[in-house]
Amino acid sequence: MLRYLTGLLLLLLAGCTAGVNPLPDPREMSFAPLDFSFPEVARESLDNGMELYLLPDDELPLIDITVMIGGGSIDVSEEKTGLGGVYAATWRSGGAGERTPDQVDSELDLRAMNLGINTDNYTSSLHLSLRKEDLPFALTLLRDLLLTPGFDADRMEIVRKQAIEAVRRRDDNPGSTAGRVLRAALYPNHPLGRVSSAETLNAIEREDLLAFHRRHVHPDNLLLGISGDFSPVDLGDQLESLFGAWSKGRSERQEIPPLTPSQAPAVHVADRELTQTTIFLGDRGIEKGNPDQYPLRVMNYILGGGSFNSRLMREIRSNRGLAYSVYSQVQIGRRLPGMILLGGETKSGSTLEVVGLMRQEMEKLRADPVPEQELALAKESLINSFVFAFDQRHEVVSRAMRLDFFDYPPNYLEQFRENIASVTAADVQQVAKVYLRPEMQTVVLVGQEQDFDAPPATLGLPVTEVSRE
Amino acid sequence: MNDLKKLACRLAGGIFLVVFCCSPVGAATLAEKVREHTLENGLKLLVVERHGSPTFSAYITIGVGSVDETAETRGVAHLLEHMLFKGTKRLGTKDYAAEKPLLEKIAAVGAQIDELKVMPDADPEKLAMLRQRLAELQEQHKQYVVKDEFSRIYGENGGVGYNAFTSKDLTSYLISLPSNKLELWAAVEADRMQNAVLREFYTEREVIREERRRSYDTRPAGKLYETLIANAFTAHPYRNPIIGWDSDIDNLTLEETRDFLRRYYAPINTVIALVGDVSFDQAVRVVENSFGGISPGTKVPPVAVIEPEPAGNKRVDVEFDAEPQVSIAFHKPTLPERDDYVFDLIDQILTGGRSSRLYRALVLEQQLATSVSTYGAPGGRYPNLFVISAVPRYPHTAKEVEVAIEAELGKLGREPVTDEEMTRAVNRLRTDHLRQMRANSGLARSLTYFQTVAGDWRYLAEYVQVMESISADEIRDAVRRYLVDGKRTVAVLTKKEM
Repeated sequence: MLRYLTGLLLLLLAGCTAGVNPLPDPREMSFAPLDFSFPEVARESLDNGMELYLLPDDELPLIDITVMIGGGSIDVSEEKTGLGGVYAATWRSGGAGERTPDQVDSELDLRAMNLGINTDNYTSSLHLSLRKEDLPFALTLLRDLLLTPGFDADRMEIVRKQAIEAVRRRDDNPGSTAGRVLRAALYPNHPLGRVSSAETLNAIEREDLLAFHRRHVHPDNLLLGISGDFSPVDLGDQLESLFGAWSKGRSERQEIPPLTPSQAPAVHVADRELTQTTIFLGDRGIEKGNPDQYPLRVMNYILGGGSFNSRLMREIRSNRGLAYSVYSQVQIGRRLPGMILLGGETKSGSTLEVVGLMRQEMEKLRADPVPEQELALAKESLINSFVFAFDQRHEVVSRAMRLDFFDYPPNYLEQFRENIASVTAADVQQVAKVYLRPEMQTVVLVGQEQDFDAPPATLGLPVTEVSRE
Repeated sequence: MNDLKKLACRLAGGIFLVVFCCSPVGAATLAEKVREHTLENGLKLLVVERHGSPTFSAYITIGVGSVDETAETRGVAHLLEHMLFKGTKRLGTKDYAAEKPLLEKIAAVGAQIDELKVMPDADPEKLAMLRQRLAELQEQHKQYVVKDEFSRIYGENGGVGYNAFTSKDLTSYLISLPSNKLELWAAVEADRMQNAVLREFYTEREVIREERRRSYDTRPAGKLYETLIANAFTAHPYRNPIIGWDSDIDNLTLEETRDFLRRYYAPINTVIALVGDVSFDQAVRVVENSFGGISPGTKVPPVAVIEPEPAGNKRVDVEFDAEPQVSIAFHKPTLPERDDYVFDLIDQILTGGRSSRLYRALVLEQQLATSVSTYGAPGGRYPNLFVISAVPRYPHTAKEVEVAIEAELGKLGREPVTDEEMTRAVNRLRTDHLRQMRANSGLARSLTYFQTVAGDWRYLAEYVQVMESISADEIRDAVRRYLVDGKRTVAVLTKKEM
């Protein structure tokens, strides 16, 4: 009440005292502590090893289901690169059980139900979004998709042709070219760095899709998560009757092909008729077991992960007007080291200047400890925004599944904020010295070379021209 | 492509990268959940309490966009949106009183340069000297600037999604915060509305030129879209790119930008939505305290231009170093006209899901295209366009795809759609409405969008009911009236021979 009166009084004053700002100063406000607890995801399992993650919530009459399967692009051989994507798309569109592909499409559309399947490096995921009244139908369809998928041959051909068309179009956008070139340089001869071609896509046979499915889709190699308006008791019974008789598979652990050394650092130039250059600087970083991830997260916020609060944004965009988008990313790999990269776009005539500024910001982080205030901002932002990791119900469920699947420690989330809070300026400098090594980074420039402000060779690295495919 | 109804799909120009589409949301329950309060100065507050997570999303939407610009000020709504991230008399500065004279000097030199640089007989030496002088002043100015202080304050208080975007129709400022920070949000935003200082103007103009290169000049889909819209309209300002053409941006002045701010950024043109873990009473109190003292301002006047009837088909080629794409646009009415609802059904029947007509015909049966989508563009306040876009699959050509689309439109105009198609479309719209309500920020966006563009957020709440009343005959009639030869604009992206 007192606050209310004070507010009114100040407003009245403002009416007659020009120049006095009646608003409280946001830099000096204090707040009641935020009360929050982790939403509890219930974990259960069927006798055949199928793990269930349940988070009921009846605010809206909707349900989301995700199935996560231990099989991804990492399991695909070089000569069939692209199989992961063809598998997922054909599984999605190829019919299920007694239903033809057209029947599946039409039954889904009639119920406004969304079905999506995709394959990433280590896993494949199936997602269903539905109205609560369609749960029995959705579960039956899910059983058919998992146990008796159609992989219709005609639909597979359509998927293959679409994938080949995507190969033809992958240089249409400069960002797509730059990303591909960087991955290929950092992960040579490895599934993480490979891209499909018409040849590898044409080498995929329907039997390969069936074999991939047989190998990976078992009740003890998948997790099923569900959130929304359902009754957990009824669901348990339904799942038991639909999936209880599904027998376990051979429990073979996913084999992760070891990385080969990255290509020697170089500048890769894709010469294109463009007014703006897309820039990537990248190196391999860490995987999730590495304790450096916390100082690296803080370092990344300060370097280029913290949007307007980051140094790349401040120096390159805000102070100099040289870019709209400029950022850094520390991708913490699930099984193998992910990339640490800096990226952005600038007009052709400031290309090398921006690369130089990116390098300068890395050098500063290596040379000097970050000021206390900047460190505090990065840590507070990461800690105080943590609550947003829980504001989408289904994301809470799928995160719980991911953390379990990739063997994160059981208290990972609980300790996340403490782990960030304990990062010091010395820690940040230490990881910057280890992981930000400009002379070891691969540089990719997609743009009009003749208009660059300096020759790429001035970066002190060998220059490679990226040919058009 | 996504299956939602798409309005003003390409919101060119956020302050920071983000892409999304505006979709109407609604449900039987929506009307009960939204509470509204209008301040005496005209500012409209909409609140939805949801206590599932200790967070809230805040949208401030000003009902002014690029459609309200003149030929001299193309791009100013978006430039101003960027400038409003630069602080106020209190935030973003070490000492505004000391900074102010320097800002005035910078503005004077900047204006001199802008005036001189377009003169054919401009003395290059004088220009160089002025530019040197500007650079020196800008360097001096740095001593007063506290960089990106809004962003720092929101960041350390746990804010996420701090951003803004400009569309043809409106400009929105958004943030999501932990729920104990409502008063912080109000203090920052009310200060921004009243006391904004447009510092670092000339640098920001360059940022926007980079944004333009990134979103339009180097992206085939962006270029094609911009060209389609610029050609589909002859007179109406919907034809102009939100971000402006490159020379527009380069010639926008600080004075024009300030003028746009003074003229339109006022409570009478403002809608605020707060969605999440807030209480209505507290929200009203906080918003009254912070925004209640601002004078109402004047309403944005309606655009008087009426697009003339097209004299025939228009066709334009876009040469680009990329594989072909095709877009076809037809003029149509906008909300709240009944035919606009009819077009939401047509949208679903043509491309909503894999059993839709165009997906089946082009992608599955004839296999001419890898994808096909339909959407409304480029805005919603004035009569707009129904657009069909497709990606041909080699060796099939854009022409073949165009012919196949025409054939499907012809069929839609001859035979009424089936009951099953109608059920599918209505179910889809109804369910997608529910889906859009799941995220606080999505709901806040929809509420301010429809309050601003339709004049009342209840458009959303009543949407599905209107949809259910539309007949198959109405669809056929609309197709015959609007999706016809002689009224279309076709833009084709063709591969430039290198």
